[in-house]
Amino acid sequence: MKKIQVKVCQGTTCYVMGGSGSKSILDTLTEKYGDKIEIVSVRCFEICHKQDSFSKAPYVYVDDELISSASLEKVINVIESKLKNE
Amino acid sequence: MFIDIDCAQIKKFGQNAYGDYFVSKRTDNQERLIAVLSDGLGSGIKANILSCMTANMMMRFIEEDIPIQKAAQTIMDSLPVCQVRQISYATFSAIDCQNDGSVWVVEEGNPSFLWMRGHEALEPEYQEYTSPKFSDRHLKIYQFKAEVGDRLIFCSDGVTQAGIGTANYPLGFKREGFLEYVKECLNKQPNISSTELSSKVIQKALSVEPGKHAGDDISCAVLYFRNPRKAIVFTGPPYNKIKDREYCLAFNFFNGKKAICGGTTANMISRELKKEIVNLPQTQSGDLPPVAAMEGVELVTEGILTLTRATEYLEREELNHQDAAGQLVDFFLSTDIIEFMVGAMLNQAHYDPSLPIEIEVRRTIIKKMKKLLEEKYFKQVTIHYI
Repeated sequence: MKKIQVKVCQGTTCYVMGGSGSKSILDTLTEKYGDKIEIVSVRCFEICHKQDSFSKAPYVYVDDELISSASLEKVINVIESKLKNE
Repeated sequence: MFIDIDCAQIKKFGQNAYGDYFVSKRTDNQERLIAVLSDGLGSGIKANILSCMTANMMMRFIEEDIPIQKAAQTIMDSLPVCQVRQISYATFSAIDCQNDGSVWVVEEGNPSFLWMRGHEALEPEYQEYTSPKFSDRHLKIYQFKAEVGDRLIFCSDGVTQAGIGTANYPLGFKREGFLEYVKECLNKQPNISSTELSSKVIQKALSVEPGKHAGDDISCAVLYFRNPRKAIVFTGPPYNKIKDREYCLAFNFFNGKKAICGGTTANMISRELKKEIVNLPQTQSGDLPPVAAMEGVELVTEGILTLTRATEYLEREELNHQDAAGQLVDFFLSTDIIEFMVGAMLNQAHYDPSLPIEIEVRRTIIKKMKKLLEEKYFKQVTIHYI
């Protein structure tokens, strides 16, 4: 089974706006999904530069799906729905 | 040549102020370095005032190229008179040197400095002048040329007289003991930094004191003439996007250590130089984003938050942190000349009022960092706004 890729932005805005990249959230996701997911830290998505076209940092990609205002709960919901559809 | 300079000090046991005072300054063009180590009469606050006044006045006189005999006389006449001893006095060693190795030293009352080439001591010639007012006060003036690898090591008499009266050192550690110990250190670590050597000397002096209690103020200042270690920090994308490639190439060809502070900056350099950013999430510690790696670049960090934290560490002299800011501090401290390439492009999202914390403006934080690195850590720093 192909792993679900969770890409988290480590840029300043995302970090300040709730730390989707913070260690506790990354640890929680790893603990919950183990090797079903692959977590990739990205230096910066640079999405906040175009903030008018998007809602809010922090941003996370779950495979190709961009999540804005990405809370742990939102990320888990998207992962869950992807797992169900497989 | 770059002159690596530092001074380490220990207060006399039981005192709450240093009686020795050290001050140094590089001229704005970074070509000249002036430093003064002064030892005030007695100890504690009184000695502190005498040595502080002496060192700072001497510094000003040298900066203004006032003849040294006149300067020394003016200082002796200006110092407050000790009520106990009815004299005013602070010894000093003043050093005025250029990046090409030209050295001028004047000593009054302090132990003679060491001039080390490798682990061999050289004996510089000097001229001696006696004060017309005080026949027991002599100025020794040295003029010579230092080479790459040379060190000048100054100390207060707290070092040479350490352990005085003890069985092992009835006459104190003396200049011979000081010289032997410096030779031992240089044999073991030929490239030892001024910070480490000065610190080792004062700890050695303290170790021979009875009960390891400093019987006097102990100071050691070291100047090390060496080839400079250069570093560059690229932070923030250029104001004009057309210039991205040009600046990235300049960064790439820089001859020295490299760091990138900023996600967008790292992406830009990665794109222009076709070098991959490898994130190292396992290195995350504390509450800062983790560091990343890139071929040929020593350190890649997030921008403003990391720079702000590193500035705080430098300000508070907290030099042992392991997070990204701590690693950036290590990067700075292991170099002599630091060049900042500061991009003027702003990320508007950082100034969104709904952000939970205030994000500093890059220029402000870099300016503050430059001041700290220069004044507290004796680095040469330049900033290029791009």
